[in-house]
Amino acid sequence: MTIYETEVPGVGRKFEMEIDGGQRLVVVLHHDGKRDVYLRPDEDADSEQLFTLSGDQARKFGSILEGAYFQPVELDEVAVPLGEAIIEWHEVDDEAELAGVSLETASIRQRTGASIIAIQRGEETIPNPTPDTRIRAGDTLVTLGTREEQSGFEALIGGDG
Amino acid sequence: MSEALVEVGIALAALAAVGYVAHRISLSVIPAYIVAAIVVGPHEPTSVLGVSLTLVPETEYIDVLAELGVVLLLFFLGLEFSVDKLLADRRRILAAGTVDLALNFGVGIAIGLAFGLDPVTTLFVAGVVYISSSAIVTKSLIEEGWIANAESGPILGTLVYEDLFIAVYLAVMAALVGGSGDVAAVAADVGVAFAFLGVLGVAAWGGTAVIDRAFDLGPDELFMIGVLAATTLVAGAALTLGLSEAVAAFFVGAAFSQTDHVDRIEHQIAPVRDLFAAFFFFSIGLTIDVTVVTTVAGLLGAAVLASTVTKLVSGTVSGRFYDLSPVRSLRTGIGLVPRGEFSLVIATLAVGAPEPVSTVIPPFAVGYVLVMSVVGTVLIQHSDRLTGRLSPYVPASR
Repeated sequence: MTIYETEVPGVGRKFEMEIDGGQRLVVVLHHDGKRDVYLRPDEDADSEQLFTLSGDQARKFGSILEGAYFQPVELDEVAVPLGEAIIEWHEVDDEAELAGVSLETASIRQRTGASIIAIQRGEETIPNPTPDTRIRAGDTLVTLGTREEQSGFEALIGGDG
Repeated sequence: MSEALVEVGIALAALAAVGYVAHRISLSVIPAYIVAAIVVGPHEPTSVLGVSLTLVPETEYIDVLAELGVVLLLFFLGLEFSVDKLLADRRRILAAGTVDLALNFGVGIAIGLAFGLDPVTTLFVAGVVYISSSAIVTKSLIEEGWIANAESGPILGTLVYEDLFIAVYLAVMAALVGGSGDVAAVAADVGVAFAFLGVLGVAAWGGTAVIDRAFDLGPDELFMIGVLAATTLVAGAALTLGLSEAVAAFFVGAAFSQTDHVDRIEHQIAPVRDLFAAFFFFSIGLTIDVTVVTTVAGLLGAAVLASTVTKLVSGTVSGRFYDLSPVRSLRTGIGLVPRGEFSLVIATLAVGAPEPVSTVIPPFAVGYVLVMSVVGTVLIQHSDRLTGRLSPYVPASR
């Protein structure tokens, strides 16, 4: 990740940060503390201004992004404490090794220690899926296991978290 | 005294009123401030429907406020002048800046000669049409969001080059018009000017630590007054020696740019600069008789047309040095069209010069800045149509 910093005479400083897919986030930090935030979707596109913050707002916002202000709670991966074990939600994407495989073949419990306690498929929830239930791409698997087992499972489905 | 207070009050009220209107229609405040002074000043129009408009005379105290405006404008130019940026990106800035100088200073020379002006007047015309307005350009860049795009590179680089050139140019021109006339005397004056600048330059370069400590002045109030005092004293000393106070102020700014005080100055002194700069634009308007502007109408028309084209061309070429697409290269040119405060600083130098400089340049510069600040801002706001029309004619890179 590269961050470019340039001085803008009479204005302040400009920071450009490369983010995913060739996009760039551009922050102009004015001398008076104001921050303009722009997004440039790709190298050839025009920058769009996203928002402007005062110095105070920017510091608050920054600490939220850092995770220092609140404990970050990500809604699609809520961890519920359950003794040692926790419940996690994992999405199965198209490239996942498990897509199209039945639970029996996948033998997840044997391989990772985590067990699948439910599958969410669109609007539908399949509680206690049977061994012959097939996992499909786009499913959300609800698993029970220790933190270690969960991360083993994470590695298995190839998700990046 | 009560009269003076009322006059300053009227001046401020006029500035606020026109500034508000300019802001509402997204135009630069610079032409608005000049127009405000023309309206309430001692020259035509002096009355509307029998109501006298001659509310503010040309007076000495407004001149002093205006002079502080010039000093602070150049002080900030020095403060924000980035040697690091110049050095870090020197190859491209040098290429873009030199094309900008050659075409736009060159077109000024060509126009001066075409209108049969003498060499010194011609050099003034060239200076006035050459330099883009840092204030209007950077403000427009932010408002249009171009600041976050690739075209901001060549635009800001060119401004840095122009800033350095204007400091040298003002020093030379001050010697030229202040001198006794013959070549040897002018050369001596230029020598004195550069010796003085050399001393200031060395102080700026080597005195960082000293300045840093000396201006560690505790309360905001003391800090502000201390910096203003240092700047005004050095500028005043330069003027007393027959040198350009503006250039001296530039060097004081450059001296501060190396210290830890930059942010504090930006915070506390920028509002002071804006106030005095407003008086500077106002005082320019006070001295201007619009009927005199018509005497330079031909020169003005030629300069407006030709120098708009040359900025578009030089900017477009500069964009190519930065490997920009045709549209972005054109935007570089469009972005640099506005002229403003520095053209007027050059004009104030011309006011005290011998004729014909003092009769031609001030009305020319005011008319020119009035037109170019508005044309430049409007071109930037409607750049899409212009780039759409012109980009097919810009050769694709590589």
